[in-house]
Amino acid sequence: MSWLYDLAIALAALTFAYFALLNLVYLVFTAVAWRSLTRHLRARGHAADDEIFASPVTPPVSVLVPAFDEEPTIVDSVHSLLALRYPEHEVIVVNDGSLDGTLERLQEEFDLVPVRKALRVVIPTAAIRGVYVSRRNRRLWVVDKENGGKADALNAGVNASRFPYILAIDADAILEEDSLLRVVRPIVASPDVVVATGGIVRIANGCRIDHGRVLDVRLPSSRLAILQVLEYFRAFLIGRVGWSHMNALLIVSGAFGLFRRSLVEAIGGYSSTTVGEDIELVVRLHRHLRERDEDYRIEFVPDPVCWTEAPETMNQLSRQRRRWHRGLGETLWRHRRVAGNGRYGVLGLGAVPYFLLFEFFGPIFEVLGIPAVLGWWLLGDLSAVYLVGFLLIAMLAGVVLSLAALTLEEHSFRRHRDGRDIARLVRFSVLENVGYRQIVSFWRFLAFFDLVRGRHEWGEMRRKGFATVPEAPLPPG
Amino acid sequence: MLEALGITALALTALSALFLVALIVRRSAIAREERRRAELEERVRPLALALVDGQEVDLPPLTSEERAMLAEAIGRLSRNLSGDARERIGAFFAGSEAYEIEIEALRHRTAWRRATAAYRLGDMACPEATRAVLPLLEDRDADVRAAAARSLGRLGDAEAAEALVRALGEQTVPRALAFRAVLDLGPAALPSLRNLARAEDPERRAAAVELLGWLGGAADDAILIAAVGDPSAEVRAKAAAALGRLASADGAEALTEALDDRIYFVRLHAARALGQVGEQAAVSRLLRQAREDRFEAARAAAQAVARVDPAALLEAADEPGAGPHLHEAADLLRV
Repeated sequence: MSWLYDLAIALAALTFAYFALLNLVYLVFTAVAWRSLTRHLRARGHAADDEIFASPVTPPVSVLVPAFDEEPTIVDSVHSLLALRYPEHEVIVVNDGSLDGTLERLQEEFDLVPVRKALRVVIPTAAIRGVYVSRRNRRLWVVDKENGGKADALNAGVNASRFPYILAIDADAILEEDSLLRVVRPIVASPDVVVATGGIVRIANGCRIDHGRVLDVRLPSSRLAILQVLEYFRAFLIGRVGWSHMNALLIVSGAFGLFRRSLVEAIGGYSSTTVGEDIELVVRLHRHLRERDEDYRIEFVPDPVCWTEAPETMNQLSRQRRRWHRGLGETLWRHRRVAGNGRYGVLGLGAVPYFLLFEFFGPIFEVLGIPAVLGWWLLGDLSAVYLVGFLLIAMLAGVVLSLAALTLEEHSFRRHRDGRDIARLVRFSVLENVGYRQIVSFWRFLAFFDLVRGRHEWGEMRRKGFATVPEAPLPPG
Repeated sequence: MLEALGITALALTALSALFLVALIVRRSAIAREERRRAELEERVRPLALALVDGQEVDLPPLTSEERAMLAEAIGRLSRNLSGDARERIGAFFAGSEAYEIEIEALRHRTAWRRATAAYRLGDMACPEATRAVLPLLEDRDADVRAAAARSLGRLGDAEAAEALVRALGEQTVPRALAFRAVLDLGPAALPSLRNLARAEDPERRAAAVELLGWLGGAADDAILIAAVGDPSAEVRAKAAAALGRLASADGAEALTEALDDRIYFVRLHAARALGQVGEQAAVSRLLRQAREDRFEAARAAAQAVARVDPAALLEAADEPGAGPHLHEAADLLRV
């Protein structure tokens, strides 16, 4: 059994190295994020949002809302999207074969009438059952289709969109009034270079919300949701700001991402064969543009806000995290040629290896590595002082990172006005390291088994364009 | 090894403490600053409103903080004002301490400070600031150029027109901002635009022609009709769009010919423009384009027919082989 012993020792040593390297990377990212956000804050002093709003040549945007069984929230969502402060935008709700009354609610509220809409079908999708336009607001379109999943619904939205940019947004998310104007800012500044942007996603649980508007930002009462507030701070204010700074942003959240439509079409749209269609699209965009030596940027914009509801039960959260991890794995596998490939610049040598090593394989170190270190100690080859020191450092590093993210939030946007909320977040910055992080790592670890079980979904999907322009049929009756 | 672990743990503890202190200090400092600003603003706001409103105001002695806040409050108000009120704001700031500070800051070594100064000068509405802000259109920093463009539009001095259109054509300033800025200059920009419509550089010609569609009038028809035959497709498309915007009946013939342009987006703009002009004679050509052209150009043609001759559209949509664009336009017409 000496090989088992050697393996445990190697894993334990690797775990030490993994934690050291990971925390070093995080600290560098925190410094980069601090600098970036400070710059962003200063730029707010001369941001010409009013002029962008008043300019007749600000690019119009099609807002795509894939909806599956969204009956309770869809009407409020659509009202708030139609009310966005933006010079010209249309809202396209794609009813993805909902089994509830999503379509009926929309029909009642917005007086929808069927139209034989010409569809620019460059991306194949499940069958379209009909397209409707609202009599009350001609900027609202509803595409009714057979169920095909979120990616398929988004692709149907891309086909139906009229404008050069598309904004993908979750049906249950809430955008702040100026969010679209703000997320489009980098495109207005450099339309030839910036091909996609994403804004920050914040957790709406606990906030006071009225008619699709967040009136008061408060922490949720659920501890699980508070822990996610911290996670989102870390992910967006440190991770995304940092990667965006290096033009190697791999994730533009599916809940709130703006893309140049022609490029999305050129690369075949969203992939229906992965559960991580948002990250997969962005990686494919990067690849497409880098393989053609294009000068481009994909930017994260930290101030436009999309509010979303976080899961409050362990069951829901575990499913979400397993799905995210599986999506990440599928994407990294599909684009494995990028990892370590200098042709892709910082994407190939920085972002993808980072996501592979620290994000994808991270749970292995966290779930197996810590028991290995404990085993090392039990075998008597590691002193108790080292063991305690290691665990303490792992925990302290987590605390530092969460406090850094919280400080960045206070430094920049300060959305939580109540000091008691901040005090709770500080407390949870410590508490999350004992239990929560390990559980999340365990869920992500389980995603490896999901991946193995769903191996058939790892293949590439072949796409065919249509030469003719079809139109939506009129629904029966 | 043990020593390294100890040092790392200490360093991380120190870092945690540092972030915690930064968090507390920052939060209380901002809270204090917000309270102070709110109080100051409450004190100076009636004064700012009275000044903007043109009331006779005897300025009481103000502290430097109050003066700065007054300047800020008036600057913010000026963003939504025009005419006499803006002139009064310009007169208030002319030669003031706040104005001089911002003029001085235009030469600051940090870009964000130059950008902020350029932006604030736009709000101060002193036309004499134009000369000081104008060189910033060539600043090495994009944010500074954008802020300068925005403010030159707000200042409304025709002297800036040529430089703004040049910046628009060369794309050294965000298109949406430069465009808006020239529109803010109004008819005063027209002489420059007419000159630039004949420039050698096609990008400048395109920008000038497009803006003539927004600011020009019948006097510009000839320039625009000539531009529909320009060697640059970009210029042809913009000229077609401009003729449509001006609803130029004289341009109808050139626009109808442009439906045969080899570049699809010229055909698209020509079709859309014919719809705006209301050119009945072009209906059959537009119907053909709606059936046969590329997606966007076909859609534009169908929508143009809907505007010019709704009856013809409905009839054509019922014919076999009408195609999706005529169907869509007809259905929308019925809605």
